[in-house]
Amino acid sequence: MVVVTDIHKSFGQVYAVRGVSFELAPGQIAGLLGHNGAGKTTTIRMIAGYLTPDVGRVSVAGFDTVTNRQAALAKLGYLPEANPLYPEMGVPEYLHFRARLFGVERAKRHEAVERAIERCWLKEMRGRRIATLSKGYKQRVGLAAALLHEPPVLLLDEPTNGLDPTQIHETRGLIKELAADRTVLVSSHILPEIERVCDRVIIFAGGKVGADGSPTDLARGIGVHAGRGNIGSVYTMEARSHEQSDARAASFENALRANSGVSSFDPAAALPDGWTRWTIHATAAARDMREELAAAAAKHSLVVRELRSERASLEKVFMTVLERAGDLP
Amino acid sequence: MSTGTGVLAGTSAVARRELSSYFRQPAGWIVIALMMFLMGVVFALVVLVPGRPASMRAFFEASGWLLLPVAPAISMRLLAEELRSGTIEHLCTSPISTPALILGKYAGAVLFLVAMLAPTVVLPFILWVLSDPHPDFGPVLAGYLCLVLLGSLYIAVGLLASASTTNATLAFLVTLFAILGLLLVGGVAQVSWLPAWARDACEGLSTRWRVADFAKGVIDTTHAIYFLTLSALLLTLSGSVLHLRRSL
Repeated sequence: MVVVTDIHKSFGQVYAVRGVSFELAPGQIAGLLGHNGAGKTTTIRMIAGYLTPDVGRVSVAGFDTVTNRQAALAKLGYLPEANPLYPEMGVPEYLHFRARLFGVERAKRHEAVERAIERCWLKEMRGRRIATLSKGYKQRVGLAAALLHEPPVLLLDEPTNGLDPTQIHETRGLIKELAADRTVLVSSHILPEIERVCDRVIIFAGGKVGADGSPTDLARGIGVHAGRGNIGSVYTMEARSHEQSDARAASFENALRANSGVSSFDPAAALPDGWTRWTIHATAAARDMREELAAAAAKHSLVVRELRSERASLEKVFMTVLERAGDLP
Repeated sequence: MSTGTGVLAGTSAVARRELSSYFRQPAGWIVIALMMFLMGVVFALVVLVPGRPASMRAFFEASGWLLLPVAPAISMRLLAEELRSGTIEHLCTSPISTPALILGKYAGAVLFLVAMLAPTVVLPFILWVLSDPHPDFGPVLAGYLCLVLLGSLYIAVGLLASASTTNATLAFLVTLFAILGLLLVGGVAQVSWLPAWARDACEGLSTRWRVADFAKGVIDTTHAIYFLTLSALLLTLSGSVLHLRRSL
C-alpha cells in the first residue's frame, strides 16, 4: 500500500533522513519509533507529499507521490505533528472545507462530515469555534478531517502528543478501530504507545531504520540492524555448590564465557540465604538456552533452585538500537 | 475513486474559505466600514460640488489612492499566515494542484475587494438623483472596472509578497512599496538622459496614466491586457515561490 524506496532528505548541512526503505502491506498498522530528531516527521512528510525526497521515491496505492502527486494524495489521510487548524472557523465548517479540498462529492459531503463528527466524538462541539476547543478536541478535529474522504492509508504524526491519559486511551482505541480496514502509520517517541497499538515497529535512529519487525520478532533480535548482538533473552539462575566453594562457581563462569550463545553476564550476586544469582544475557540467536545452562551447572556440581528466561523487552531493543545507531551501514 | 481534486473544485474550495474568513474576523468588517466611510467622504467633497458637471471622475481617481493601503491589507495574510501557523501543510498535502491553491487564494481576496466596493454603487445613484443633467453611466462602469483591475493587480503583488514571508506585516510593507513603485515608475519615464527604450519600458509598466484613462471613461483593451498579464505573471511567480519553499 505504501512503498518507500531509499529516500534521503537533507536541510542545508543537516541530513535528516539517510536512505530509508520500507513497505506497508494493506491493513497493517505500523509504528515509527525514535527520539526527537530521528527523522520520523521528515519521513512522514515525504510520504504525505509535503516534502520532496532529495533521492528515492515514495508510492501510495501504486501512485508515485512526485510524478502522480494528486492521485497519491487522494489516497492519504494525514494528521501533521502540530495539527495546525484555522482558529476562527467552526468545527463543521472546517470539516466541510476539508471535504471540498479532498474532492468529496457534494451529495456525500454532509454525510461524510457527520460520520467523522460521530466517530471522533465531536458532537457536543458542533457549535464551537476551533479557537475555543481544548487541545484534545482540536486533535480530534484534525483526526476527523483526515478521515473525511475515507482514505485507505492514514498517516498520524504523534497523534497523542499533548493529550491527557484518558484522551490518549480513547485515541489509541480509535486508531485501532480505524486500522481494521486501513493501512496506518503512526509515529511516536513514546514506546508503550507504539507497543500497544502496532503490529509492526520501525525504529528510527540517526535518520535510518535501526530495526523493523513485529514486537515479538524484535525482542528476539530479528529485524534489528544495530546492536543486534546485545539483544537476546535474559536468563536468571540461582544456584549453589554443596561445599560452598568459589572454585565451582568460577569454573561455571568460565564455561559461560566459552559459550557462544552467551553475550555477557552480570557478576554473580551472593544472596543473603547463601545462594548465588547469575544474570546471563544471551545473544540474539533465538534458541532456548535453559537446558544448556542447567547442564553446565550440573557439570560444575552446582545445585539449581531457579532458572528462568525472559525475552528482551521492546524497550531494551529500542535503547540498544539508539545506542548503536552509529553502527548502521 | 477520485484521482485528485479538479482545478475548479480546488480553487472554489480555497476561495470560499478565504472569502468567508474575512467576514469571520472583525478586521474584515472594519476594513469594509472604513473604506465605505472614506469613499463617502471623498464623494461628498469632490463629486457633490454644486455647479460642477455631474461626473464621478475625481471620485475614482481618489479611490485608486485609497486602494494603496487597503489592497496590501487584504493580501498580506493570504499565504504568510498559512506559512506561519503551519496550515499550509494541509493545503500542500491535499490533492489539489498548486495553481488551484494560488488561484483560490487570489479569487477569495479579489471577491472580498469586490464585496468591499459593492456598497459604494449607491453613490452614483445618489449623484443621478441629485444632478440635472444626469451623469453618464459609461464612465462609472469604466471607473469600477478600473478599481477592480487595479485592486486585483495590487492583490497579486501582495500574494507574491505573502508567499515569500511568514510575517504578514512584512508582506504588507513590501506590497505597499512595490505598488508605490508601480505608480511612480511613470515618473522615471520623464528622465531625459535615459535611453528611449528604458523610458518606454518605465512608461509601459506604470499604472498611473492607465488609471487616468479609465477615469475618463475610456476602456482600452491594452490597459485591461496590461493588468491581466501582469497579475497572471505575479500569480505564476507566487506558485513557484510556494513550490520552492516545499522542495527546499
